[in-house]
Amino acid sequence: MPHIDNDTICAIATPPGRSGVGIVRVSGPLAGSIARKILGLDPTHRYAHYSDFMGADGEVLDQGIALFFRQPKSFTGEDVLELQGHGNSHVLASLRDRIISLGARLARPGEFSERAFLNNKIDLVQAEAIADLIDSSSQQAVRSALRTLRGHFSRQISLVREKLIATRVNIEAAIDFSDEDIDLISNTRIGHSLADILKELEKIFVGAQQGAILKQGMNVVLAGKPNAGKSSLLNALSGIDSAIVTPVPGTTRDVLTEQITLDGLPLNIVDTAGLRDSTNIVEREGVKRAKLAIDQADQILLIVDKLTHTEDGVSADSVEKLLGSLGLISEESAVNSPLLNRTTLIFNKTDLVNDSKIGLDSVDCGGVEVTVIHISAKTGSGVELVRDHLKCCAGYNPGTEDVFVARKRHLVALEISRELVKSAIRNMVAGSPLELPAEDLRLAQKELGVITGEYTSDDLLGEIFSSFCVGK
Amino acid sequence: MEYSKHYHVIVIGGGHAGTEAALASARQGVATLLITHSIETLGQMSCNPAIGGIGKSHLVKEVDALGGAMAKAVDLAGIQFRVLNASKGPAVRATRAQADRVLYKAAIRQILEQQENLDLFQQGVDDLLIESDEIRGVITQMGLVFRAPKVVLTTGTFLGGKIHIGLENSAGGRAGDPPSIALATTLRQLPLRVDRLKTGTPPRIDARSVNFSAMQVQKGDTPQPVMSYLGQKSDHPQQVNCFITATNERCHDVIRSGLDRSPMYTGVIEGTGPRYCPSIEDKVMRFADKTSHQIFVEPEGLTTNELYPNGISTSLPFDIQVDMVRQIKGFEKAHITRPGYAIEYDFFDPRDLQYSLETRSIKGLYFAGQINGTTGYEEAAAQGLLAGLNAARAASGKDYWCPRRDQAYLGVLVDDLITLGTNEPYRMFTSRAEYRLTLREDNADLRLTEIGREMGLVDEHRWRFFNEKREKIELELDRLRNRWVRPRTAEAAKVDLLLEKPITREYSLADLLARPHVDYVALCQAVDDGDAGLSEEEGLDQQVTQQVEIQLKYQGYINRQELEIDHLKRQENTVLPGNFDYQQMQGLSNELKQKLIVARPENIGRASRIPGMTPAAISLLLVYLRKFKRPDRKAS
Repeated sequence: MPHIDNDTICAIATPPGRSGVGIVRVSGPLAGSIARKILGLDPTHRYAHYSDFMGADGEVLDQGIALFFRQPKSFTGEDVLELQGHGNSHVLASLRDRIISLGARLARPGEFSERAFLNNKIDLVQAEAIADLIDSSSQQAVRSALRTLRGHFSRQISLVREKLIATRVNIEAAIDFSDEDIDLISNTRIGHSLADILKELEKIFVGAQQGAILKQGMNVVLAGKPNAGKSSLLNALSGIDSAIVTPVPGTTRDVLTEQITLDGLPLNIVDTAGLRDSTNIVEREGVKRAKLAIDQADQILLIVDKLTHTEDGVSADSVEKLLGSLGLISEESAVNSPLLNRTTLIFNKTDLVNDSKIGLDSVDCGGVEVTVIHISAKTGSGVELVRDHLKCCAGYNPGTEDVFVARKRHLVALEISRELVKSAIRNMVAGSPLELPAEDLRLAQKELGVITGEYTSDDLLGEIFSSFCVGK
Repeated sequence: MEYSKHYHVIVIGGGHAGTEAALASARQGVATLLITHSIETLGQMSCNPAIGGIGKSHLVKEVDALGGAMAKAVDLAGIQFRVLNASKGPAVRATRAQADRVLYKAAIRQILEQQENLDLFQQGVDDLLIESDEIRGVITQMGLVFRAPKVVLTTGTFLGGKIHIGLENSAGGRAGDPPSIALATTLRQLPLRVDRLKTGTPPRIDARSVNFSAMQVQKGDTPQPVMSYLGQKSDHPQQVNCFITATNERCHDVIRSGLDRSPMYTGVIEGTGPRYCPSIEDKVMRFADKTSHQIFVEPEGLTTNELYPNGISTSLPFDIQVDMVRQIKGFEKAHITRPGYAIEYDFFDPRDLQYSLETRSIKGLYFAGQINGTTGYEEAAAQGLLAGLNAARAASGKDYWCPRRDQAYLGVLVDDLITLGTNEPYRMFTSRAEYRLTLREDNADLRLTEIGREMGLVDEHRWRFFNEKREKIELELDRLRNRWVRPRTAEAAKVDLLLEKPITREYSLADLLARPHVDYVALCQAVDDGDAGLSEEEGLDQQVTQQVEIQLKYQGYINRQELEIDHLKRQENTVLPGNFDYQQMQGLSNELKQKLIVARPENIGRASRIPGMTPAAISLLLVYLRKFKRPDRKAS
């Protein structure tokens, strides 16, 4: 039985972060032709080629070992190409993008193993394990995606999706109810709303690209009043495992970001204190940037000095108040601010307080469970918990999918969707039959559905019936 | 008493589903009996006198491509033909015909009576013979027993039918006909989910009391379109006009004044009506800011004065109906010949059916038409053909057939019904078909006639016509691909005029025709291929040129859709066994498990269309399916 997908998939097989060797794996019927284009040679079955890995214009992306396995004698039972290059995440990403541009698509979570199993390459007793893998890695992907979706990105996507549906409703009504006297919007206005949708998609795409490519890694914001211990925590975190600490050079904005890695998990740490400390004239700009950083953050570590925290317990109110007093959220933000989902409360300086507990705790903030960690950045007690907590939040688990792959998939979907909307606009301008832009937009909506990870079941007819008086 | 002749297939009902079912079964050489409560009403149009329309004509052409009767009958009975959506593209283009009720019935009756292997019998059916969950035959009102291993039920709105006019209601299957109460009671005892639906019809009006000069005239199209692939303009009887008028605020006031006696607004009617075909009182209430609603005034036939005012279906009391109608322009002195009414009836949850339209719980029992929650003659006919075909195939020991969603609107219809069910009368729309660009009116025969022939549905005449057409299409495509136009020649100059800019290199006619706005006839004339090209005459040549042009112009879109369809096909070909144990699947939520257990999807494709299903769940299904299929084998 051939399995459902006979297309070619690819993925970076090594865990994200910096390591000596990085592997990109390709499986499917196009693996051979992709090899020829990237290596410039016809690969031999089960032979290690040392070769340049070439980009679209023949430029060298990397050098390394290429292994080719002809089906069925491969891990997945399909043609498999494995490129072993350097472990730099940017290099790996550009190699992967090159492979995608040659016709492969990004693999779904657990898909290599799934294909191996479906092609009888894995023993039956492993079926449960594979099922577990698909389940856990897809759940994780959903978690990762959700984390991305929770913020700004998700609002933008759902907004543009709504606009797309509204436009489709008009087009589909014009097709299916053309012999009724319903008040349809004109083709000119359809053209306008499509232009609007395209603009939105461009904006989201650029924004998401920044999040996913320029800033590979989980964005962590350290927030707290001066002297709460942000820098100490940063040092304590980076000190562990003698992680690499590199100030990322570049724009003014980036100078305040530091990249560290925990067990290969890259973290972009934004110290909002630095932003807040900017003096008078730039003060406002600083706050604006801090808010932006918070908006894009995957995790916000809110550091509280135990000495100065006078209240007995922690409540939604006090957390909001803290965030508000730091200028991170506006005063009128209600409890249940979406920020709470991404916030972790760090009580620092336990070493200076008697009877103080160390460890993990949580507090219910109006229905949202916020994690609380008691630490001493100075003595290092509890820092390990922060580290584990961050890895856990990233859904980080070497070998399976992480948040950034999920984002990459979003980017691909966004790009396809954008191209389809462009095609719809071209069709409208050219005066093509209405069924052609309608087809473009159907597919565009389907692609946006990829981002939410569900098969789209749009109820266009329902929308039509509630918007128009149809029926004879 | 038991009837001496044994049949292989019995069809109950003589409406659009029943007649196509009986014909499809008999065409396969299977002994078939059609039982109806009245032979006089075979092929009766109970509601509006029209066939086709957007999404619906696609079904009619598919029934035609499979040898059915509907398109042929309407070509003989159509008194006005129009093509809707002509400018919106070939895939959504749709033929619609007003039909003369009397001529239509006569045409259907004639086709039925000429069909070999088909007997007719007039009598109501009261009971079904069922032994250990398998159908054995039917029992009529007078106790006559007909035996058959397969029974197709096409009872329309007759099951437990209840007619409402104002707060008055009475039992009825359609105005003037008794309902099937005994059969409804029998069916309600079967392990099938049953519910109520509602539909309605407008008051009919005497043309002699109408002032047509106050209305807008709506003419048929010239040249006259035809419905059947084998149809010709010369089949059509005399053509007539329709008229358009509209409601107004005075009319709406009258409607509002009668709502306290409306069965809809006082809660007397429980069934759900269709959202796309609301009663006039619904339109006035739900879209209160609209001061006027359009009415199409359609003649019911050449030999009657009755008119069908399409757009004012109502169940308001009769006095309100009269008052309301007389507020309408042109209807000031209108005489109502039959009051409008709403009808509630039983339907069975189509999720209890299989792709063959056989019920899951009673072997050999098939349902088609409104009994499955659909509405419309075309939807009924398409299901009838499928149910009759499959009943006859099963009787001959053959596997069922049902087209996929990418093959036919019929496939979309059945898949939607059995996968999603319905909570209002289900009507076809082109937006229901995701492969819309592939499923066109113009290519239903290219999609279905060959398979129809293999299954014994298509006769020699149609088969020959089809083969000739297919051959001509290939030849013409060939010619267009190999006929080149060189730049800066005399003929190029004429082509340049067509394109509004000069060509700069050599192009084939196929290349040129693929461009938007380049017309086949104009191009052939420009290059002076008038003789080599095909004639503009109706019939075969016209169908060929149309096909060639669409295929060339839509190639890019069709290719893209074919990639999608390839994926679908692989999913549809991955069969899920009936005894597959969803409970044992780890990692699948209980909610999805329950949905799968209830739906029992036949294959992965259908499983993926169950609401709430995710790609990850489908991956899991595939893994467990593989495990299920090779329980003992070790990996190599």
